[in-house]
Amino acid sequence: MKIMCLVKFTPDVENFIYDYEKNVLVRENVRMILNPDDASALAFALKIKNRRPETSIEIITMAPQSVIPHMEDLLRLKVDKATLISDKLYVGSDTYITSRILGKYLSSVAYDCILTGTGAMDGDTSHVPSQLGELLNICQMSNVVEIEEETFGSESAVIEVDEERNFAKYKICMPAILSLQKVRNYKLPYIKYEDLERNVKDQITIIDNETLGFESNQVGISGSLTQVSGTFVKIMEKKDKRVVRNDSEGINTVYQFLRDKGFV
Amino acid sequence: MKKSLIYIEQNHFQNSMDLLEVVRQVYDAEEYETYGVSFGASCDEAEGLFDYLIEVPDQRIRSYDVINMTNVLEELQGFYHFDSILFPATQLGRMLAPRTAMRLHVGLVADVTAIRHKNGFVEMVRPAFSGKIMAGIVNRNRVPLMMSVRQNVFSYQGASQKQTEKIKYSPIRIEDRKIELIEVREKEKTRDIRESEILISGGGGTGRYFPKLKHLADELNAQVSASRKTVDSGTAPRSMQVGQSGKTVSTKLYMALGISGSLQHMEGLKNVENIVSVNTNRDAPICSRSDIVVEGDAEEFIERLTDKIKWEKQSRE
Ligand SMILES: Cc1cc2nc3c(=O)[nH]c(=O)nc-3n(C[C@H](O)[C@H](O)[C@H](O)COP(=O)(O)OP(=O)(O)OC[C@H]3O[C@@H](n4cnc5c(N)ncnc54)[C@H](O)[C@@H]3O)c2cc1C
Ligand SMILES: Nc1ncnc2c1ncn2[C@@H]1O[C@H](COP(=O)(O)O)[C@@H](O)[C@H]1O
Repeated sequence: MKIMCLVKFTPDVENFIYDYEKNVLVRENVRMILNPDDASALAFALKIKNRRPETSIEIITMAPQSVIPHMEDLLRLKVDKATLISDKLYVGSDTYITSRILGKYLSSVAYDCILTGTGAMDGDTSHVPSQLGELLNICQMSNVVEIEEETFGSESAVIEVDEERNFAKYKICMPAILSLQKVRNYKLPYIKYEDLERNVKDQITIIDNETLGFESNQVGISGSLTQVSGTFVKIMEKKDKRVVRNDSEGINTVYQFLRDKGFV
Repeated sequence: MKKSLIYIEQNHFQNSMDLLEVVRQVYDAEEYETYGVSFGASCDEAEGLFDYLIEVPDQRIRSYDVINMTNVLEELQGFYHFDSILFPATQLGRMLAPRTAMRLHVGLVADVTAIRHKNGFVEMVRPAFSGKIMAGIVNRNRVPLMMSVRQNVFSYQGASQKQTEKIKYSPIRIEDRKIELIEVREKEKTRDIRESEILISGGGGTGRYFPKLKHLADELNAQVSASRKTVDSGTAPRSMQVGQSGKTVSTKLYMALGISGSLQHMEGLKNVENIVSVNTNRDAPICSRSDIVVEGDAEEFIERLTDKIKWEKQSRE
């Protein structure tokens, strides 16, 4: 069985530092991490491979070549193959174009299932998985929290989905795109000690536009259908705060406030 | 005359109606007509709000069958040539919108929280980088303009006074369904935090005392919510999370105990009227947005305020 895992390395936004004096994000030295939803998806794939060693896993990412060390770390977790789609022409692609590029590669290879994350921490559009479903003409489901392992690999898989108010179980025809949410039952293992330095270079394939053959005006910024017209940091509205202590006077002030506003 | 289509999701009816406000802001002074489309059950409650309501009562299309729903939306676009199509950013809406946008070869903006007009373009504003940055996105001149709209941000105030024309649509192309719903299991019977007027919210500073928040919440007839940190540490379920990656709430009172107030948390508090925060650090970011800051330990505060409310209740009886 062949599993494709779409992965994306994103800035570790949780640890961005915000400069309140200057109202800017400090973006220097921001660490890149594997997008958490994607980590759960890959963890599931590795779990399957552990159970059925004949499984082969390919990770695919579209990114600059600077992500190669991160891909190597994933290869050291017993991922079989890594494909990096990288070309200067692709810089600035929106989700529509990103999906077209990934879709072109995916439609040229064979697979039994595509796993992705539901959303990525940076753009957080959740567009790419669904758009790929359309391009490849297969089902896609977001916010998957569990895949029943026994059914995975047969004609249709049984999956559990977090639908805000409910959990729903679906039977979905394979191949499909299953997009996982970050969940605790699918966690990436650590790299084994003996694999830490393992040379995995020859497991990486780099694909550029020479292979995929898009016209230069079809991709990147010029091909994109949406365009970021500006980014700004939200200025929080300030209030005239009253600071009180955690003593009976302070508690009285809070209580009085709750009374005045009708909360008690 | 502009034409706008809104996808009405039965399970998120109010959120779907609120998209009428977005359409109003998009077209501003221009004349426009609104169309609503719903699958399965008819949506009589929407009568009077839309100019046209398109119902697709075909039994073969299940409300989760995104592929066939996309087929229908494509057919409708072929007939009506909408200038814009809007979806509520629900679980389903966020799968249906990208598929439809790809089918129609147009760009899509996700999870929109504000509409602006800039040099004759409609600029759609949305949070990115977990809400740390807001981005304005424009669509490159393609029709229709498509977006999914974040739940609970817009609210439509218009009266229902339109002469709604109902249209029953019979789809031309329906494929064999590739997905089957097996069962639906309700999540633990807590109310949605978005439905509560008062939230008692705990962050990293409440640590293992988080369960105590419930005491105070019970006295105030409130619900308990949490910051991302509390959820990530496994102390609170994800359904309680407030913020960019959680829920946007519009409570009258938000009590923030041991919450620092990162930008992505504050993103979820846009429509909150009053904030009381309890924090050992009086200069934590949330404090500058608070009506009252209690400087001190959150656990102690819970006990004191709970006692105070109980005592006042008794003395009034
Ligand atoms: C501030 C800002 C706002 C933006 N707003 C929009 C917008 O509203 N609409 C729009 O169309 N674009 C927008 N973009 C562009 C968009 O973020 C990029 O196109 C990005 O490549 C798509 O990533 P995502 O996080 O949205 O993907 P998602 O669809 O959220 O990613 C989900 C999953 O898809 C897979 N995946 C995604 N990208 C790749 C990849 N490059 N390689 C391999 N797998 C991948 C991963 O498994 C990932 O977890 C915005 C960009 C910025 C900086
Ligand atoms: N015991 C406590 N009571 C109230 N606030 C606290 C306490 N400990 C830490 N805090 C504050 O809680 C917020 C969250 O802290 P952190 O654990 O870093 O997420 C910070 O603003 C701290 O200042």
